[in-house]
Amino acid sequence: MEPFYTALNAVKVLRSSVGHVFDTLGNGVRADHGEENKDNKFLLELQELLSTVNVNLRELDQAVNSLTPPPGPFNLGNSTYLTQECTLERQALYADLVKSYKWTDKVHEYGNLAVTLFSQNSLKRSYINSSSKRRRMQTSSHNVPPQTVDQVIGNIDRQFSDMSVTIQRPYATNAVLQITLGRILKAMAAFKGLMIEWVVVKGHGETLDLWTESRHKVFRKVTENAHAAMLHFYSPTMPELAVRSFMTWFHSYNTLFSDPCKRCGNHLHSALPPTWRDFRTLEPFHEECKP
Amino acid sequence: MGVTVLQQFPMVENRTGPQTIEFLTKRVVALGAVQTGQFLVDCETYMSVPNLGPQRTVHVVHNSEAPASVFAVLESGQRSVPLVADGLFDLLMQKMATIYSKKQPKIEAKGPRFEIADFCVKLGSVTMGQNFKGVLVEVEYRPCLVASSCWELVREFLQGFLGSVVPATPPPYLQNRMNELYQPIDTVNQYLEQFAQYRKATGVR
Repeated sequence: MEPFYTALNAVKVLRSSVGHVFDTLGNGVRADHGEENKDNKFLLELQELLSTVNVNLRELDQAVNSLTPPPGPFNLGNSTYLTQECTLERQALYADLVKSYKWTDKVHEYGNLAVTLFSQNSLKRSYINSSSKRRRMQTSSHNVPPQTVDQVIGNIDRQFSDMSVTIQRPYATNAVLQITLGRILKAMAAFKGLMIEWVVVKGHGETLDLWTESRHKVFRKVTENAHAAMLHFYSPTMPELAVRSFMTWFHSYNTLFSDPCKRCGNHLHSALPPTWRDFRTLEPFHEECKP
Repeated sequence: MGVTVLQQFPMVENRTGPQTIEFLTKRVVALGAVQTGQFLVDCETYMSVPNLGPQRTVHVVHNSEAPASVFAVLESGQRSVPLVADGLFDLLMQKMATIYSKKQPKIEAKGPRFEIADFCVKLGSVTMGQNFKGVLVEVEYRPCLVASSCWELVREFLQGFLGSVVPATPPPYLQNRMNELYQPIDTVNQYLEQFAQYRKATGVR
């Protein structure tokens, strides 16, 4: 790139000095040449300017010689036709070109940022791009026989007396859980093997399905937090533990409306009860109060 | 349909009914509530004619929150029998005019209705016949269906805009049903409980 810039610069300098020559010629003899020998002085000045042009031309020559010629003809695609239209105004392309250039620049920048972020993301749950060792572990949580899933879920169901869990299998072998937590709330959780893939929380009186949100703000918040929890507890090496921890955490919502926030001691904050439960201690907090 | 708590807001000397409603409206709006129209709960009371043995009373209640239903509560002695029917029940009562006759003026609560997050707040001014009787405040917490699990929360909310007039215990009707699933008829019964108090009282309360 460096020699190319030097060459372009040389062209610029040459143009400017040639321009200067014609400028001087056009002005002719000026008052500052004085009365005596004004013709000679003018000629001398012209000569000087022309020698500068010579010097600049030589510099350009050198710069051009140091450039490597392109290997073949450029393929400019449709943009070659641009040369056939010579008035710039009629193309009105400049603004668009600048815009798209800026856009590509931004895409490039964001792309770079995203790559660095994604490469350090520990919550990756997909099959793609992992070492052979890692892939073996992941298969163990995705690809579990239905009987094992039934057994794990059954154990969890027996563990909590006020939380009932029933298994449906509407989509082939993957389980969809219907969880009823006391008379407080209901939830649906879609599994892939022993990995929790999707959770929806709704009120006790609402109809339950996988795709629609609850009409109550508080349960929409709890759904959000449940998504955070399923990612937090996800563990490819110990899928059973992950499910059990999630369920224990989820069970703590049976006091959603009756427990005050651990931090501020109130029930309500912006008209919502404490919707957050700490992952370790299961203590209730408001969204705004959580540590 | 969630747990609803109905409570009266005591009137003070130098404030009229509309002024009280406006005063409470300002407080609720300051909490971030948005007005979502008006509401109306009305109650007609019918008495059985004397020659049919012991007297029975039927309260027929309409609630704008459940516009397709008519609620009826039959009182005979200590027992009360609730009934939820559709709009035709009103016509049926007219047919039974020879058995049940209207003796008491109609009593109703109406006013603005507000929503704030999952709460629904209604500020009703109670009128009996043409007379203003007082102000009732209804708060519904829609996500919760069991009163015992959210009473403290609702109380905190009520205190937020009513101040110290909020009692420490739930309304008497609700106290016996703290652990049951809340039904629309429970709201109606709370209104009847309050209306009965207004009937007894002379002047505003």
